[in-house]
Amino acid sequence: MHLLMRAAAIAALFHITPAVVLVKRPDAVRALLPGADAYYAQEVHLSATDAHHLHETVDWSPDDGVLAFYTGNAGSTAVGALEFVRVDTPHGPLEVAVGFSPQGRVRGVIVTKATVEMKPWVLEAVASGLPDRYRDLKPGDVPAGAAALTGRTGNLAAYIAGQVDKGVARALAGYGAFYKHVGA
Amino acid sequence: MLYDLRRADVRIKWLVTCLLATVGLSYVFGALMVALYAGFTPQRVAATYAGAEMSMPMPPDTTVVVQHPMSMADFARPEVHTVDTDLLIQDTHVHVPMYGVIAAALGVVVAGLSVRRGWALGLITLLFAAPWLDFAGMWLTKFLSPRFAIATLVGGWAMGAGYLVVTALALYQMWWSHERS
Repeated sequence: MHLLMRAAAIAALFHITPAVVLVKRPDAVRALLPGADAYYAQEVHLSATDAHHLHETVDWSPDDGVLAFYTGNAGSTAVGALEFVRVDTPHGPLEVAVGFSPQGRVRGVIVTKATVEMKPWVLEAVASGLPDRYRDLKPGDVPAGAAALTGRTGNLAAYIAGQVDKGVARALAGYGAFYKHVGA
Repeated sequence: MLYDLRRADVRIKWLVTCLLATVGLSYVFGALMVALYAGFTPQRVAATYAGAEMSMPMPPDTTVVVQHPMSMADFARPEVHTVDTDLLIQDTHVHVPMYGVIAAALGVVVAGLSVRRGWALGLITLLFAAPWLDFAGMWLTKFLSPRFAIATLVGGWAMGAGYLVVTALALYQMWWSHERS
């Protein structure tokens, strides 16, 4: 049985469908940093120790060891920050944009990329109110979108919610540990 | 020669025409896939196949923050699609047998064309060699030098050229040549 499951996982890996953009990045930026008229990228090049700590916390290492926060200002007022986080699944990569308010709470979550196969599952999860489940979370909180959707939607949408949970957890961990560092 | 597409039964001619149309359709969408994920310039092909392995930044001793302004155009800039070794193994495993089948099918069409033996041998060689060059270019770009991206481009264009030559000759000889039955 174990062998069969491994074979199925390998077969799934070998048939990943092409990536599709669900929401263009500029549209996600406008939605998650509303009213901003100036944007900045704050790239946090993690030391080996910090990268290891992040990996231990959320089982994730950002590409090239660089955490990127995008901040927006409206005039001299900070509007917030956002991160784009990639989640690799057996069905291909998902990209989740997580926006934070200036108070450090989740303002919104948008799934920006998926694969052709996962797109209908993502749309079903979003239509079931998945993004609302993350609103106002703060670093240290545990995203529970999958638990909220289980039984209320299809299994595959609930599966996607679990993957989005991972993305949000990574964004929260990165924001909590390093965004203050950026501010300092 | 017994097998001559000019004098073949109309059913065979129609079969070959449908085969060529199907292969042509798949090549058009193949080209669109290339445009979406790799591009048609040596720079973009090199970035696709050599990119990830070429840059291996060492982590700094302490965490460092770099800040720079962003415009909406920066956010809209397309990301480079990269193909790592695992994905290239998968691509090679999937594509090379299929390209072999396509080359064989087009080669059978070539065998039925009224062209000199040397030209026919050359065309059949081109049909098989083009995908070899295409994939050899990808592997060499990844492991030897980004300059081999040109081999992938030449291989890809050669596949398209081989298909067009075979299709033009076959359609002409089957449906418009004065010598057809």
